[in-house]
Amino acid sequence: MKIAVLVKQVPSSESMLPLSSDQTWIDEGQVSFVMNPPDSFAIEEALLLREKIGEGEVVIVSMGPERVKKTIKEGLAKGADRGIHLEEEGKIETDPLSNSKSFSSVLKEENFDLILTGLQSDDTGMGQTGVLLGELLGMSTATLAMETEVQGDSIRVKRELESGWFQWVKLPLPASISIQSGLNTPRYPSLKGIMGAKRKEIKCVSSAEHRSGAQTQFMEKVFVPQTSKQTEVIEGDADTAVARIIEILKSDIKVL
Amino acid sequence: MHFSIIEKVILAGLTLASLGSFGYEVFRRVAIVNKGTGSFPFDRIPERLFRVFREVFLHEKVIRERPFPGLMHALVFWGFLVFGLVTIDHFAIGFYKPIMSESAHHAYSYIVIPFAILVIFGIVSLAYRRFITRPKALGGMSPTSGLVAVFIVVLMGTYIYGETGLSPLVWKINWWVHSVIILAFMYLIPRSKHLHLVLGPFNIFFRSFSQPDHTPVHIDLEGDEDELDAMLNDLTKLTKNQALDIFSCVECGRCTDVCPANRGGGILDPKHHFIMDLRQPLLDGKDVSVLDQINIEAGWECTTCQACTEVCPVGNHVEKSDEIRRLEVLVEGRVPQEYQKLFTNLQETGNTEGASSSPFADSFPVFTADKEYVLWLGCFARHGLDPNFNKSVENFTKILDVAGVTYGVLAEEQCSGDPANRLGDKLTYTMLREHNLEQLSETKKVVTLCPHCALNLGKEYSQYDQINYTVEHHTQVIGRLIDEGKIKVKMGESGKVTYHDPCNLSRMLDIVDEPRTAIKAASSDFQEMDESGRNTLCCGAGGALWWKKETKGRTHLVRAEQVIESGADTVVTGCNFCFGMMKQGLGPMTPEGREEVIVKDVADIVAENLVYDL
Repeated sequence: MKIAVLVKQVPSSESMLPLSSDQTWIDEGQVSFVMNPPDSFAIEEALLLREKIGEGEVVIVSMGPERVKKTIKEGLAKGADRGIHLEEEGKIETDPLSNSKSFSSVLKEENFDLILTGLQSDDTGMGQTGVLLGELLGMSTATLAMETEVQGDSIRVKRELESGWFQWVKLPLPASISIQSGLNTPRYPSLKGIMGAKRKEIKCVSSAEHRSGAQTQFMEKVFVPQTSKQTEVIEGDADTAVARIIEILKSDIKVL
Repeated sequence: MHFSIIEKVILAGLTLASLGSFGYEVFRRVAIVNKGTGSFPFDRIPERLFRVFREVFLHEKVIRERPFPGLMHALVFWGFLVFGLVTIDHFAIGFYKPIMSESAHHAYSYIVIPFAILVIFGIVSLAYRRFITRPKALGGMSPTSGLVAVFIVVLMGTYIYGETGLSPLVWKINWWVHSVIILAFMYLIPRSKHLHLVLGPFNIFFRSFSQPDHTPVHIDLEGDEDELDAMLNDLTKLTKNQALDIFSCVECGRCTDVCPANRGGGILDPKHHFIMDLRQPLLDGKDVSVLDQINIEAGWECTTCQACTEVCPVGNHVEKSDEIRRLEVLVEGRVPQEYQKLFTNLQETGNTEGASSSPFADSFPVFTADKEYVLWLGCFARHGLDPNFNKSVENFTKILDVAGVTYGVLAEEQCSGDPANRLGDKLTYTMLREHNLEQLSETKKVVTLCPHCALNLGKEYSQYDQINYTVEHHTQVIGRLIDEGKIKVKMGESGKVTYHDPCNLSRMLDIVDEPRTAIKAASSDFQEMDESGRNTLCCGAGGALWWKKETKGRTHLVRAEQVIESGADTVVTGCNFCFGMMKQGLGPMTPEGREEVIVKDVADIVAENLVYDL
C-alpha cells in the first residue's frame, strides 16, 4: 500500500506572532516553526497501517519554503520512507484550492492508494486541502477519521459526527482521509530513525513546476484580536428596563 | 578428640561438596558481572576502605535507617566475625588437631559465649520481625530466611552446649550437627540473598562516590551506522558495578520504603523494578543485556531523587530510570506526549516552555568579562514556571548588590538540559549542552538558584567535556557571604521555620550545611523536619516530573503534607522546583482554620532580614 501524508509546518503554539510590516501575514523572523500537531496523528496512522499490512510505502508531502524540510525530515525520522517537497518562494499561498491543485499536479503520477492529512492546520485552520485533493485526483474522501481499517481494496473509517455520534463508512481505494487528533499515540523519532532519515530521499518540486495558475486568494489584512469591554447600564423602572432588554435581544444580539 | 578415618573421609567429602558448590555458584555470578561494561574503580582506595569500615564493620547505614532491626543485624554480624576463629578451629579438630591450645580455647570462649547469646537474641528478633510483624518492605514469605534463622540458632546452641563438658559421644554428635549446619549454610549462601555476606563488602568498596551515576551517552551525529548500532546495543547492558549490585541485593526493601513515587501510591517499587527483576534474567541469559526488562511505566514514575541509592545498606546504585528511559526514547521512540512537546520546545527554542523571549531575564544586567559571576537563571525563573519565584531571584541579586558582588546573565542561556537528560533524551541533551558550553567558554564562575541547573552545568557536563568554570548554588554564596561578614543578617519574624532539602542539592551536590547557615542567621526558631539532609523526601518534581500531565499517585503531595504536619509557619527551600511544588501543594492541603505555611527560598529569608548599615 502506498500512502501519502500531507504535512504542514506551522508556528508553534507558544510562539509570539508579530504581524509583518505590511500586515498581510506574520513576521516569521521571530517565530519557531513546528510540525502541525494534528498531522503527527496522520503520520502515526500511516505508519501503523503500513506495520499492520506488513508492506507499503509512507511518503511525507509538504509545501512551503526551505524551512519545511525540517518537518519532512521529522516524518522520515519517525519511519516514513521518503519525502516530497513542493517548494514555495515569496508569499505563502493560503488558498486551499490552489494548493490542492499544486499537490494534485505533483501526486497524480504517484498513484497513491491512500492520502492522509491531519484534520486541519493550526495556523489557518481551513481543513479543506485533503478533501479537495481527493476530489481532484478522483479519490473517495472522508473527514475526521477516529479509526481506520483496510479491507482488501477498500477502507472502513469511523467518522466523528456531532454530539458524540459517529458513523462507519466504507470507501473504495484510492481514498483521501483526514485524521481526527487523538486517535493514536504519535511516536517520537528514535535515534536510529533520526540518523537514518539523513539518507532518505526528499524530492523537491519548484514552485514553477507545481503552480499552474495565478493566486486566486489574497490575504488583505491580518489583525490581532482587540479586546474591549462595552457595558451598557440600563436605567429607569422595570418596564423601561425590560423594553430595552427585549430591544437588545431582538436587534443587537438577534436571539429573539 | 579422635576422629576415625571414615569420619574424616565423610567430613572431607561433605566439605568439598559444600565449598565446591559455593565456589561454583559464586564464580557463575562473578563471570556474569565480569561481562558488564566499564570497569571497577580502584581510585581513592583509602576512602573506599574507610567506607567499608563504617558501613560493613560498624553497620552505620544498616542501623541508621532501621535502628532496632539494624542493631539486631549488627549483633548477628559481629557474632559471625567473632565466630570466624571458632569455626576454623572447629574444622581443624575434625581434620587434624585444634589450632588453639586448650587454655586459649577456654579463654576465647569467655568472649564467644556472650556473643553467641547476643546472636541468638539478634536472629530471634529478626525472625520475629520477618515472620510475625511482617513489614511490607521485606516482601513475601521467605522459607530460606526461616531456615537460616534456625541454622544460626542451632549453630550458637551447639557451640554453647559443646562448651559445657559433654561425654565424648554427645560431644561428637554435637560436633557433627554444628559442622553439617555450617556446610549446609555454605551451600545456601550463594543461592539466596545471603550472598550479600560475600559480595556486600566488595559492592560497598566499589560504589560510586557520585550520585546519580549513569554511564554518559555519547552521541556522534556524524558517526557511521555501525558505531551507532554498537552504542544503541550497549544501552541495554549493565555496567560491572550495576551487575554486582543485582547479586548483592539483600532484599530488605529500604529503597522502596523511601521511594517518593511508591509512598505517593505509584507502582514504582525500586527493589523489584530496578534490582530484583533483573536477577533471574541475568542468570538465565548468562549475560548483562537485561536493562530492557525494567518495567517501563515504573521507570517513568521515578523522580530520580536518589533516595533509594542513598539508603541502600549494601551499596547499590538502585535508581535505573535513566537506563530504561533512554532505551524508550533513543531506541524505541516511545515517549509520553507531554514529554514530546517538552523535547520539541527544547529543540526549537532552547527552553522548556517554547518561549521566544524572557522579559524577566532582560531585567538583569548582561554578563560582561569584568563581572565576577554568570547568574544562571534557568528556565524556571526565565519563563516564570512559578511567577512567585521571580521575587526570590531578585532577593538574591539584592544580596549580591549589598555584598558588592558583580554578576550578569547570559543573553543566549538555554536550558541546562536537565529535563532532557533525566527523561533519557540524550540527543536533545547533547544539543543543549554543546550550546551552553560554547556560551560559557570564557566563564570562570557560575552561580544559580536552580540545583538542577547546578548539577548539570557542573557534575553532569564534566562527564562529557572538560569544563573550565566552577558552579555554585546560591545558598553556598549566601552562606559564605554571611561567614565572611560581607552581609549582616538579623533574626527575623518568620515564626517557626523549617527547611526542605532539595534532592539535587543534598544528595547529589552534598550541599546541606550552607542553606542552614543562612536560615539560622535569619531565624532563631529553626526546626529540622523528620526527613532532612541527605535523607530528605523529594517534593515530587524531580526527574522532569514537573511536566508530567497525569500522575496516578500523590507523589507531589506527600512532602507538602509533611511540611504541614511539622507545624512550621514558614518552610524554606533551596530549589525553584521545590518552591513551586510546595506552593501548589500547601494551599489545598492546609486544614481549615489553619494559616497556610509560607514558602520561601533561602534568598528570601536572608534578603528580608538584611541589615544594610554595616
